Amino acid sequence: MRHDRLVLTLLWRELLAGLRSMRCRDLAWIVAGGGALLAYAIADIVVALQAGATTLRQVQPLWTFGLPGTLFGLGGFAGNALASLCLSRAFAPFLRALPLSLRERRRMAAVAACTLGVPIASIVATAVGLGCFVIVKPLAPVWGFGAAILFGGGFCVAAVLRLRSARDLVHTDTADLAGNPGRRQPWLGAFDRSKPTWLSSWAWGLPAGHVRPSWRLVGTASFFGVAAALSAAISLVRHDAVPAAMAGVTGGHLVFMLSARFHPLGSPVLRTAPLGFARAWLRLARLPLQLSVAYFLLPAGAALAAEPSAWAMPLASGTWLLALNGAYAVFAAYFMTAPFVAALSFLSAIAYTSYESLEYGRAVLIGFAALVLFLWNRAQRRYRLG
Amino acid sequence: MGSSADPAEILAVRGLSAGYGSRAVVSGIDLSLHRGDILGLLGANGSGKSTLLRAITGQIRPLGGEVAIDGADLAGAPERAKSSFGLAMDPSDLPAALSGRQYLQLVASIRGCAESDWPGVNVAERLGLKRWIERLIGEYSLGTRAKIAIAAALLGAPPLLILDESLNGLDPLAAFEMKRIILALASSGRHAVIISTHVMEAVPGLCNRALLLAEGRIAQEWDARQLADASHAPGDFELHVMRALWEPMSWQRR
Repeated sequence: MRHDRLVLTLLWRELLAGLRSMRCRDLAWIVAGGGALLAYAIADIVVALQAGATTLRQVQPLWTFGLPGTLFGLGGFAGNALASLCLSRAFAPFLRALPLSLRERRRMAAVAACTLGVPIASIVATAVGLGCFVIVKPLAPVWGFGAAILFGGGFCVAAVLRLRSARDLVHTDTADLAGNPGRRQPWLGAFDRSKPTWLSSWAWGLPAGHVRPSWRLVGTASFFGVAAALSAAISLVRHDAVPAAMAGVTGGHLVFMLSARFHPLGSPVLRTAPLGFARAWLRLARLPLQLSVAYFLLPAGAALAAEPSAWAMPLASGTWLLALNGAYAVFAAYFMTAPFVAALSFLSAIAYTSYESLEYGRAVLIGFAALVLFLWNRAQRRYRLG
Repeated sequence: MGSSADPAEILAVRGLSAGYGSRAVVSGIDLSLHRGDILGLLGANGSGKSTLLRAITGQIRPLGGEVAIDGADLAGAPERAKSSFGLAMDPSDLPAALSGRQYLQLVASIRGCAESDWPGVNVAERLGLKRWIERLIGEYSLGTRAKIAIAAALLGAPPLLILDESLNGLDPLAAFEMKRIILALASSGRHAVIISTHVMEAVPGLCNRALLLAEGRIAQEWDARQLADASHAPGDFELHVMRALWEPMSWQRR
């Protein structure tokens, strides 16, 4: 159909506009720095694969379940993310007035998601094939082809589910926002009155500061509640502080990552106001941090009760939680309109730092700290100077 | 710039160039605004009006030149400079999830004033915002969004009020009230106002200065006397502006 490539064209135009709006110096930094880092990472992975080739070839569960499951899951993750991105463009505000049915919009999103998915699947297939080649695994090209099929399978399943679940956003979007805030709903007012007032309600998109109960919210809260209770129970039964302390740090940080939103930092409302970047950033981090600490307290208390002599562990966990939350808040402020990208970048940076610190020790943490400071500086400059 | 500033001068722009990326949209802008001034900023679409106002309000980095607001250098002391102006936000930039009252509370809390601390008048009442104030901004029409943006810009009585095409969407009654408020602000001798608009006929009756931008440069300026001379009959001022734009590059030879 004649509209089928519309979403793809929109995304391509957005990419070009984004590239054109960047300064040549920044672009050169990203290409040169990112390219060098990528080349180093590939070389590092090749060396690591060669070193562990014999072991890797012999680990049967890896080839039977681990790799196929990971590839399928990765495909599903990518499929869901890309389908969501394409759907958001298919239902873009400026396309709402066009006489396009829900089915046509889904088809536009599907064409774009599939077109973007093919090169990603090819990259995954090449990476797996080359990996098998490096460790001298027999039939490396077949493994590469199989990886593409598994990744593609996961991608298609998730993308189809996401596209099918898309409601007619043209008619439901504004109705969702306009939902009567006067109804009796949990109100955030008491927690969101510190200056600048209502900043968290704005960041979270809560209509007039009212929390709208949803199955997703209840499910997430239940999951975190059960995880905290389970870890606390395990620690108390075993008289071991480790499970509860670990659950406290992990859960507390996940709560922070899920709740931290910094998009108001890009709004002219704050940028033209007599409000410094640090103050706005701290205020936006405040409520997510309170939620994170509130979650941390139960497992940390259980850890202390389970093993009072190991009091340093909950203390260290709390310090790590604050450090991780602070670092993520900087990533989220830099990628202020894309929390998903912020989370992915942060987790990648943490994983890479952890991996390199095994080889080079704690000196790598200085590199991570330098990255956080660099992002802070860039976010601050953008807030002040555009 | 700040130390030798004239106390009556509320805005001083010297040799300003600004744009996006490394491309200058406006360049060589010199502008001085004093308390009591109402400046009409005119120009065709893409002439650089909004870019100039974005540079003055610190939303984009100047490629060259300096901006000082109420004696505070925008680059050196941005928070002090920003406390001296109120900018009526573009309707699309307003936080749709907040109610009108919450938005006023947000701005008031940043400016350190009460949510009804307007200069002399109750702006919400005069602009007919009362019945909308508890509703979500996401439900507002374009005109109502413009009203809440103006009401927020006036909070704390900043010495410089900046309206970027904010009067365009107002209903006749609100537009009339807004003109009265602007004239009262200027006549108090404590405030200055910049109005960017395409409604040229409104300029001679409201502004005591006007400035025409074309291709990112100041093409023509009018002071109070010239504005009076240029608007003896309905349509005169519009003709003046059109002549300035039509005469092939006449403003570039000036």
